[in-house]
Amino acid sequence: MNAMTIEPVSAFSSLDVLVAVDEGLFRAEGLDLRMASRESRDLRSTTEGTLSSPVTNQGRLHDRGEATMFQG
Amino acid sequence: MIVCAALVVPPDSSVYVPQELAHRTVGLDYGNGTAYAGLQMLEGAVPREAVSTCAAVLHPGERYAALMRGEFEATVLQEPWITVAEKAGCRLVSTTFFHGTWVAGPDLDPALYAAFLRGVARAVRRINADKRRYVSHFKEGWAADDPEVQALTPDDFDLGRIQLREPTPIPEDEARWAWDWMASWGLIHGTFDVTTQINRKVEREAHELAFAAR
Repeated sequence: MNAMTIEPVSAFSSLDVLVAVDEGLFRAEGLDLRMASRESRDLRSTTEGTLSSPVTNQGRLHDRGEATMFQG
Repeated sequence: MIVCAALVVPPDSSVYVPQELAHRTVGLDYGNGTAYAGLQMLEGAVPREAVSTCAAVLHPGERYAALMRGEFEATVLQEPWITVAEKAGCRLVSTTFFHGTWVAGPDLDPALYAAFLRGVARAVRRINADKRRYVSHFKEGWAADDPEVQALTPDDFDLGRIQLREPTPIPEDEARWAWDWMASWGLIHGTFDVTTQINRKVEREAHELAFAAR
């Protein structure tokens, strides 16, 4: 069983991933899919940003090597 | 998965069509797909100089609450807050759909990604066979502590807003159009170069491994 960690996801963008985890569909494919947790230091409000210089939390865990993939 | 984004106004708003949002403030979670979907819905209706936005929080439930407090005149929501908003009498003045795209570094193992793609494809088939069975997932995560979401029943959800398709390689044209559109708003700079944006080698190997038997 190979493990892979992704950044946390929500149903509105990743219902398929949540169902696959819940129903063991990744494990059936030999994948132990894990979801990383964001710490408070990873969470900045989008209200701190502007349209052309936004603040986003996506990709931070990936950038630190704590997640292999994230949803852009 | 395909994300549904709806441009929503409160029940007492005088806005019924997106054109009426000209020069009115729309709260967007800058930097996220929903915000870009909002911009695209607005610029499909009004000239760019008439698009007026402000920064809003990322959490759709909190953004919906800010809308209802009158902090801005419209916002863009995703499920389950589109359903919550409709139940509260809000109006959807425009709706659109966009792809959620996975991002990874160059060291992604094609075999691992192939296993991920296969798992996702199996889930998509299961969900599409009975969407209503799976809408309970919209009440988890961010929505777990939201009483308005928890009050929803499976029958409240409009299944047409829940769209899933099995994973495919990223179409180059669509990636280029998205880049050019973002560049036209000054959100990114430079010229689109597919070789720096999409690792076709890893993508091809993973899709071949995942779906070779098709």
